[in-house]
Amino acid sequence: MITKKIFMCEDSVDGIFTAIYDAWDSRYGHDNVRIQVQGEEMELELFSEYIDVGPDEEKIRKVARSIKEKISEEAFDMVCKAAWSHEKNKGDVIYRFLILGFHIGSKVINLHSNDTVIKMFNMNRNVFYETHHFLGFIRFTESKNHILFSKINPKNDILRLIAPHFSDRLNNENFIIYDEKRKSAIVHRSGYPWIFTYANELDVDKLSNLSPEEEEFRALWQTFFDTIGIEERKNYRLQRNNLPKRFRSNMVEFNTQD
Amino acid sequence: MNVIYDENMSLERKLEILSDAAKYDVACTSSGVDRKGTPGSMGNSIAAGICHSFSSDGRCISLLKILFTNECIFDCKYCLNRASNDIVRASFTPEEVCSLTMEFYRRNYIEGLFLSSGVLNSPNYTMELICQTLKMLREVYHFNGYIHCKAIPGADPTLVEMTGWYADRMSVNLELPTTEGLRTLAPHKTRKTILRPMKQIQLGRDEMAGKSAYQVTQEALSGSNFYGIKQNNNRNLPKNNSIHETKNNSLIQLPQKYSGGLQTQEESENINIIARNSSASFGLVKPPSVNRGFVPAGQSTQMIIGATPESDYEIISVAEALYQKFDLKRVFYSAYISLNQDSLLPALPDGPPLLREHRLYQADWLLRFYGFQASELLSKERPNFNVFLDPKCNWALGNLGQFPVEINKADYFTLLRVPGIGVKSAQRIVKARQLANLKFDDLKKIGVVLKRALYFITCNGKMLYPVKVEENYITNQLISLKEKLPLGIDGSNSYKQLSLFDDVKFSSMNGIMNVRSMSL
Repeated sequence: MITKKIFMCEDSVDGIFTAIYDAWDSRYGHDNVRIQVQGEEMELELFSEYIDVGPDEEKIRKVARSIKEKISEEAFDMVCKAAWSHEKNKGDVIYRFLILGFHIGSKVINLHSNDTVIKMFNMNRNVFYETHHFLGFIRFTESKNHILFSKINPKNDILRLIAPHFSDRLNNENFIIYDEKRKSAIVHRSGYPWIFTYANELDVDKLSNLSPEEEEFRALWQTFFDTIGIEERKNYRLQRNNLPKRFRSNMVEFNTQD
Repeated sequence: MNVIYDENMSLERKLEILSDAAKYDVACTSSGVDRKGTPGSMGNSIAAGICHSFSSDGRCISLLKILFTNECIFDCKYCLNRASNDIVRASFTPEEVCSLTMEFYRRNYIEGLFLSSGVLNSPNYTMELICQTLKMLREVYHFNGYIHCKAIPGADPTLVEMTGWYADRMSVNLELPTTEGLRTLAPHKTRKTILRPMKQIQLGRDEMAGKSAYQVTQEALSGSNFYGIKQNNNRNLPKNNSIHETKNNSLIQLPQKYSGGLQTQEESENINIIARNSSASFGLVKPPSVNRGFVPAGQSTQMIIGATPESDYEIISVAEALYQKFDLKRVFYSAYISLNQDSLLPALPDGPPLLREHRLYQADWLLRFYGFQASELLSKERPNFNVFLDPKCNWALGNLGQFPVEINKADYFTLLRVPGIGVKSAQRIVKARQLANLKFDDLKKIGVVLKRALYFITCNGKMLYPVKVEENYITNQLISLKEKLPLGIDGSNSYKQLSLFDDVKFSSMNGIMNVRSMSL
């Protein structure tokens, strides 16, 4: 039997693109290679060779260019979003999707009856929905130095997808959105473009030093939130369905209740 | 008016009173306009709308929904704030509204402001207060987010127009579907004072050329391109098709002129007359220096369901007339909630008629996105929706002669009429079948609800399995598949509420009667 080659890469667009390049370049046969993203616990497979892949700029660029030129910009967008998904096997799904895409071109995204395409769509949908949820569910608190600070724990790596929205909306504010799980952050200075940064050293305690008005507006919001529900239509199941509990820990209106 | 008023009321107490008083208004989505942020101002707007939280009733919180004041010289029977009620009254100042909006917005609590109001002193006085507040929010506080406000019935057109330059969406609530209903329950409002500002806003918006979903659908139906989907094989079906297939041609008719479609609907006539006769009184006011357009997100309205005995047919006919004649973006339906004791109001011991409200929203969707006409869904003889089946299933069962349709050939709007196929799956079918002939297995992956659709479709000429195309049989099958209703809507309970009005009949030509007696 043939030994499988498993290309292990870091959990990022860069890592996955490099692994795709190497897997393809190995000419070992698509059925005999697999791409696996590090970080998630995995079952080691017997009769497999594990190959560690470090990000390589040249390879990343080549893969990106090929996707855009040989498939489409839209497919490239889908691939990036899939790479930010929380799905464990996203690396390999992307690889299979690209094999198909390089074969049949831009039509691939309309191939709704193909299992790989369906998996890509599902990952994209999941990322899209979570992104959209966070546009609404993020809460900023104002710290003493008037920086707006928000802490989130998203399933998917959505920081870069929500950043443009808030930079546009709050272009006159200084704000930080911090992904607690991935220890990364979006930092925006009033009037400047946003930047993405790893934030291991971010002093969260300092930012939780609140401005004098903060408590007042939180209390006002809480009052509004408690009042606006209609007693005769009370429906906590619907509320939980629309706003699952995992979002609530960072939302002020739920902090006093839960 | 018995006014209890506290001069030193805290902002928190005011917010409590004035959000409590505003919460029954449902015409409050934050959608309809895309607007980028600009340097020096705060905010932008997303056409799809954003929910920022969900309240204990499970409904979306998007806007800071408040009344400017709950003082009111009107005495609408159903309203908590009516003049004759003995309640605590409060009013915001424009500065308070601005500050709340700005501080909530920058913390991302809200998508914008929804400002309604009781009628303080006079309609003009109130409209002016609203206008002044919006102007301050836009020009002094530089708020660039979403604003929805009410046009006060009876206010001067100049004030309505001026306000429209600062608002994204405006709404005038129709409140009750018929003139008669208004006369009984809202003696200070008339059809005319409600429809006049609606007409005015519509005329003002004509320059903006923003289109409602209803209009887009109607245009697509009359042949223009839709969603960029090329429909090569629609309408001109191969000649050797089965009888059902040829009938598809007549399935999608170009919309009839409204008056032709609805015989003697007095109410819609009434709306038509006002729609025709209102003259343009637009252009009295100069746009502000930062011109965001005149009511760019369009207008909406709300009808209260179940406070007066109108049928569903009357209600959706009125909604259809509003979409056609006033170019409304949305009509909202609000299940009546019993707030005041009044001999003119129904008692609703089982709570608000939520299932009925749900059916009306489903039908509203069929009007706006699916190309249905009100007169196809209901009729004078069958004036109410079926408790057990959604309006589309109900329609399909009454029109079995138009089925089954062939998945690989039927055009987009024909597919849309199949129970179990929605907007998304119809779009996907049209795209995917250009690449390969679709089979039942593919349909499942596309998202078609096969257990519902199987009675109405063929793939490559074959049904999923041999089915008796017979009304009673299919009706029974469809009812036995539990319909997924929104959480908290209990069908049996709402059935009791609906039966308060004796003109409500659930039975239909579809043989639902038998099924019901069987299952109860």
